[in-house]
Amino acid sequence: MTAWTDHLVAAPILVPMFAGALMILAGDRWRGAVVALGLASTVTLVGLAVVLLGMADAPEVRVYRKGDWPAAFGIVLVHDRLSALMLALVAVLGLAAFVASLARWDRAGTHFHPLFQFQLMGLNGAFLTGDLFNLFVFFEVMLAASYGLALHGSGTARVRAGLHYLIVNLVASLLFLIGVSVVYGISGTLSMADLAARMRDVAEADRALLETGLAVMGIAFLIKAAVWPLGFWLPGTYAAAAAPAAAILSILSKVGVYAVLRVWLLLFGDEGGASAGFGGTVLLAAGLLTIAFGSIAVLAAQSLPRMAGASVLVSSGTLLAAVGTGQAAVTGGALLYLASSVLALGALFLLIELVERGREVGADVLAVTREAFGSGEEEDDLREPEAVGVAIPAMVAVLGLSFIACTLLLAGLPPLSGFLAKFAIMAPLLGPAGALVPTASWVLIAALVLSGLATVVAMVRTGIDIFWASPLAVPRVSLLEIAPVGLLLALCAGLTVAAGPVMDYTLAAASALHAPSPYVEGVLGPIASRPELRP
Amino acid sequence: MPETVLLLALVALPFAGALAVTLLPTHARNAAAGLAGGIALVCLMLVWAAYPTVSAGGVLRAEFAWIPALGLNFSLRMDGFAWLFAGLVTGIGALVVLYARYYMAAEDPVPRFFAFLLAFMGAMTGVVISGNLIQLAFFWELTSLFSFLLIGYWQHTAAARDGARMALTITATGGLALFAGVLVLGHIVGSYELDAVLAAGDRIREHALYPVALALILLGALTKSAQFPFHFWLPHAMAAPTPVSAYLHSATLVKAGVFLLARLWPVLSGTDAWFLIVGSAGLVTLLVGAYVAIFQNDLKGLLAYSTISHLGLITLLLGLNSELALVAAVFHILNHAAFKCSLFMAAGIIDHETGTRDIRRLSGLNRSMPFTARLALVAAAAMAGVPLLNGFLSKEMFFAEALSADTPFGLMNVLPFAAMLFSAFSVAYSLRFIHGAFSGPVPADLPREPHEPAGWMRLPVEILVLICIGVGVLPAATIGPFLDIAVRSILGDDVPYYSLAVWHGFNLPLLMSIIALAGGVLLYLLLQRRLRSGIEGEPLLRRIEGQRIFERTMVFLSWRLARRAEGLAGTRRLQPQLRLIVLLAVLAAGAAVWLRGFGPGNLPASPVDPVLALVWLVGGTCAIGAAWTAKFHRLAALILLGGAGLAVVITFVWFSAPDLALTQLTVEVVTTVLLLLGLRWLPKRVQVPGDRGPEVLTRTRRLRDLGLAVAAGGGLAALSYAVMTRVPPELLAQHFLQRGYTEGGGTNVVNVILVDFRGFDTLGEIFVVAAVALTAYALLRRFRPAPDSVEVPEQQAHADGATAGAAVTGRGEAREGGDWLLVPFTLTRLVFPAMLIVAVFLLLRGHDLPGGGFSAGMVVAIAIILQYIIGGTDWTEDRLRLRPHLWIGTGLLVASGTALAALAFGRPFLTTYFAYAELPVIGKVPTASTLVFDIGIFALVVGATLLMLVALAHQSVRGHRATPRRPAAPAASAPAPLVAAGDG
Amino acid sequence: MELVVSLAIGVMAGSGVWLLLRPRTFQVIIGLSLLSYAVNLFIFSTGGLRTGAAAILEKGQEGSLAQFTDPLPQALVLTAIVIGFATTALLLVVLLAARGLTGTDHVDGRERDR
Repeated sequence: MTAWTDHLVAAPILVPMFAGALMILAGDRWRGAVVALGLASTVTLVGLAVVLLGMADAPEVRVYRKGDWPAAFGIVLVHDRLSALMLALVAVLGLAAFVASLARWDRAGTHFHPLFQFQLMGLNGAFLTGDLFNLFVFFEVMLAASYGLALHGSGTARVRAGLHYLIVNLVASLLFLIGVSVVYGISGTLSMADLAARMRDVAEADRALLETGLAVMGIAFLIKAAVWPLGFWLPGTYAAAAAPAAAILSILSKVGVYAVLRVWLLLFGDEGGASAGFGGTVLLAAGLLTIAFGSIAVLAAQSLPRMAGASVLVSSGTLLAAVGTGQAAVTGGALLYLASSVLALGALFLLIELVERGREVGADVLAVTREAFGSGEEEDDLREPEAVGVAIPAMVAVLGLSFIACTLLLAGLPPLSGFLAKFAIMAPLLGPAGALVPTASWVLIAALVLSGLATVVAMVRTGIDIFWASPLAVPRVSLLEIAPVGLLLALCAGLTVAAGPVMDYTLAAASALHAPSPYVEGVLGPIASRPELRP
Repeated sequence: MPETVLLLALVALPFAGALAVTLLPTHARNAAAGLAGGIALVCLMLVWAAYPTVSAGGVLRAEFAWIPALGLNFSLRMDGFAWLFAGLVTGIGALVVLYARYYMAAEDPVPRFFAFLLAFMGAMTGVVISGNLIQLAFFWELTSLFSFLLIGYWQHTAAARDGARMALTITATGGLALFAGVLVLGHIVGSYELDAVLAAGDRIREHALYPVALALILLGALTKSAQFPFHFWLPHAMAAPTPVSAYLHSATLVKAGVFLLARLWPVLSGTDAWFLIVGSAGLVTLLVGAYVAIFQNDLKGLLAYSTISHLGLITLLLGLNSELALVAAVFHILNHAAFKCSLFMAAGIIDHETGTRDIRRLSGLNRSMPFTARLALVAAAAMAGVPLLNGFLSKEMFFAEALSADTPFGLMNVLPFAAMLFSAFSVAYSLRFIHGAFSGPVPADLPREPHEPAGWMRLPVEILVLICIGVGVLPAATIGPFLDIAVRSILGDDVPYYSLAVWHGFNLPLLMSIIALAGGVLLYLLLQRRLRSGIEGEPLLRRIEGQRIFERTMVFLSWRLARRAEGLAGTRRLQPQLRLIVLLAVLAAGAAVWLRGFGPGNLPASPVDPVLALVWLVGGTCAIGAAWTAKFHRLAALILLGGAGLAVVITFVWFSAPDLALTQLTVEVVTTVLLLLGLRWLPKRVQVPGDRGPEVLTRTRRLRDLGLAVAAGGGLAALSYAVMTRVPPELLAQHFLQRGYTEGGGTNVVNVILVDFRGFDTLGEIFVVAAVALTAYALLRRFRPAPDSVEVPEQQAHADGATAGAAVTGRGEAREGGDWLLVPFTLTRLVFPAMLIVAVFLLLRGHDLPGGGFSAGMVVAIAIILQYIIGGTDWTEDRLRLRPHLWIGTGLLVASGTALAALAFGRPFLTTYFAYAELPVIGKVPTASTLVFDIGIFALVVGATLLMLVALAHQSVRGHRATPRRPAAPAASAPAPLVAAGDG
Repeated sequence: MELVVSLAIGVMAGSGVWLLLRPRTFQVIIGLSLLSYAVNLFIFSTGGLRTGAAAILEKGQEGSLAQFTDPLPQALVLTAIVIGFATTALLLVVLLAARGLTGTDHVDGRERDR
């Protein structure tokens, strides 16, 4: 028998599942009902997320056994700190994007709302499941919905980008399948925990094959995480997507990162036996390269949407590189960074569309060329300054401040959480006093600082041009659209103030990830992690 | 605890004030100024309230846990030095606010201005009373941010925008360096707390990472205090309103740099590296700044460069590694603040009253504004270092240091001369400021008629000038104690003896001052002609335009180079991306094997059966054939694809997997139909022999792809062989086989797995199908055929018009047309019910025998498709009213509802009815819940498949109606009545 | 037997990859279908190949791997088939839409100018 509270773990998947199904029945005719459903679902998810965060902050993991079959061969949902954190991010981002969509975007085409719910369902499922193949299925749910959202509203640009997005992800899914089946063929299990327990006693003759399968699977994850050179599809797709869609998509790339965090640390972490640390250097290198490429792309971006897309690359790279260093403390910092950057990117994607509304097309390119010839240089400094300033309309001011906030968050400048997050990654990289700092850490620190610099330069250039040089016509923005941005940014501010408890949480989550035997035991029961005792 | 409150309020009040001010109406300048000034004054009071503690050598502390896990606390710490600076920041802040109230025009949106000013003040206070280094970097970047906003306050002028951008870019860069630097410092010390760091001087200097930390921190400090070669941003920051300039140049932004140098002086200084970097930077800046200042034609420009030069002086003093030099530096920080602020304000007044700051146009203002003239005169004299004024004292100290500096490097023997040169220059530019603006004939063509400013506007200048005089005449009595506690808090007990007397008797420094004064006057007289000529910029250095270089580099690095690099390292085309993916996948797999080879499998390979081999000979040929023909002969490729698929089906049957065979078969049929429907919309592509099309591939590219394909195929083949020939010790599967019937209640284990053991996968899977169907539908509603594929395909055109057209357009009356395709038509109509029965059969027996919801759904879908193909769209829909959305929605709800039902019985989601019912099950339809689950799947599959197929089919109906290149009208684009359920 | 099947997988995968790298959307979709055939067969094969083994339990029987094929890979393949079917269909629709909107069937939505 299971207590009703146990069902809470499954709820984040079930709520959007049913909401979406009902929405299809309601169809587009009863928009009111659909919206009400959507609101109920997203708000419920936020509530659930809070509860689950609370429940998660405990040493043991919670296991929900689908179909009441033992974890050994049934599908289980595993709810630990990491998944609770991801669920919370999805919930918040979901609420924000949903509300923002109500202003206009949800009517840009049919079926926005059910697809949106399925998107949430897929994300939550991916973050909760403890079974590799089930992870694949939820990846597919998530992707199928994301295809719909990315293409929502149709139009040449979206379809063009969507085609790439679709094909690339189909290939990734095939790789995932190959990987999973190899894992089953060699280890005979699909449950992550069981696999982790079996890692040690895989026959030496077979280990290479198992690692092959996992490597192929890893490529699939890295494609989703948009690592260089597998992530060229991302900026275009996100830039083309409708604002709320882009906002929710911005967490999709983090699913790839999550998968790496979960699977890689579980199987190849310090307890991975003979395979421990497999591919760690690859992760680190890939992460660093991604940071580099992302920063370049941020600088080179000719429009805000592309710049935002490029920043997604930067954050993915940062996370993977941090994980690749294989230190629990660094991972803890990375988790804070994850939260901060997801919220910031969501806000940015929602914001961009509002800003773009107020300006003429191609202004960016124009500005850059203007800069290329050095604006203002020709006018001498003796010109009496117009001693009267130009008042900035309230709405533009709000947009401007939000833009500044996003810049600070993404560049890792004070006072918002971005700064603390980078600090939380860098400080452990340097380690305690007296400890020798490996070169990799230096490189990563340099990469973090420089990427921040690139972001500042690029976004200040663009921001000045948008808000100062060519004062934008006050865009017509409804509260529905600006409030979500405010919400997300407010949360970042909250992260800054409550950084202490948050860090305690993320550090606990990280150390659990790096020492997974409690996870394994929690899922399979005590004996599982001690191979010699297994039947 | 009062001191906690005090410190916290000191930092928090300005920010709170800033928030409050922003809420004021756009032109409420009295309210804004009043609030700002009030807050500045309160802060000043707070600082003063701390005096007793500080003067007794005590330190005020306040600490709050921030991120204990990382040893980061929010800690405030105010010792003498911090106290002095806090006083400077808040005191001058108050004066600046008062001044700004009268300087800013009535129409100016001043609340924004005062809000930024307050926030900036708060940030600056934060810097000086930060108790730990990370937090110091935190506030440091905030000063960069708010100074950026202040400089760009008049954002409509290009100068303001460029100045702001440059200032931010440089100071923020420095800030990031500083951040990294303090991280390293913290790593060396093991704590970020200032107390701990200051106590660990020797450890730091000896540590291997000392050079790194030093370099990074100095990068931060020197950029902030505009030291050569980072000095050029400061003059452009003049684009800010004059009150801001006065504040930034005198007490705050640039002083933050020297503040940091002095703050960390005890732990970082004393090494050759420190001396080399800081000393030489200071020396160069000192001379260059002073030299350039002489030739500025803009009052503010002149002052800006003099600021640079004076900061160079302070930096140089700090670089000399001597306690006395430090004292001189701190002293000069104060003096410079006093006279520079007053001078900027004076320049502002001139600008405000006359409308220009151009020395060449100004003259004789002492007639129209005598009082301001006197004030400016005194302040300028202080800057020039005339005796009985504060500037003189610190300059004397500097001379003394310059003479006594015992430096490891010979080059510092030039110090005394450098000092005199600097002093002479400063005399010259001070003279120019005064003489140029105030003496001479009454100016003719000024934008405005000059007159004395409002008394309140002059008040701050008066106060500051009084300070200059007071300190100059009675240093010991006025500034003495403050200076003392400041240096004491830095140096601790080993404060050297220094005297603040005006008169030290005839000594070398005095002589130097006299020479410098004379030299300065002389220099000014000599330069008269050139200065009057009004040539822009200074000789020698004018070619080197810092800003121009900066802009060029920025554009090159951050734009051109970046674009090029992105082009090289990235792509927006699909094919390269896919190549990379395949390549990396192959490499990843290969590497894993290569790193640790693998042994032989534990299963013997079973003998080859010729029949299956033959099947695959055909299948393989089909696959390759498909690859070969896909470009020019799409239909052929499609058929060949089917061939390969068939081979797969046979293989499934062969290896006793009937379920797979069934599903694969049905899926294949549907997929083929879909593709056939799609073919019609693709462009014609006919193979012209010898025609080299626009994107004909070069031989090498083809070979590369071929190689990749072979590698991928071979790799997968090898992998599969390796996996097939080994079986792991224990498989999940054995559980399923054991429990399949006894607990799962079905003999068809595969189906039991799908709907029970791993029902969650299936549940997810049907949501995938649903989402995809919705997406496809939504896209097709916006479908626009390409112009060249709108007209009826020739096959139809050639055929007998009316009836042939019906085949595609499917107009109802075509059926009355009679004999056309009569036989197949009748057949399918007969087959239809039969197929439905088959479907139901598959569905019901699914749990025990091959079949199940999915294949059943597919069969029904196929049945209906047949009707469409033969009967034509409209005819079918006249007789068969489908509501795909209804099917989909119901299917999803039924399936997930069944799964949810378990919760009602206190079981987890998806627990099947059978699984917990103790009653023995015999015959009938044993497992109620799984069957319902399967029915849900069935409904969904039918709905989804039809939704896509029919939506596609309708395109060809629409194709003729839709006008090319324009979105079809909603009426046409909505495949009514078929999907009425979905249309809005 | 294993050899034949693995070769089959290899051939289909190879021709699939080749098509995947071609510039025309139709080639790509055919390629992906071939690839998914290959992958389905691959998944199936990981359970080991058994000829003539029973697929269906007797009522009340507790099966074991001795006399039955491994059913799990089959279940996985079924899921994979369905998902593959759905996504292929979507790809078809998207490429039609792309063809309609961009006027070309090049994967980049624009002809390479070279």
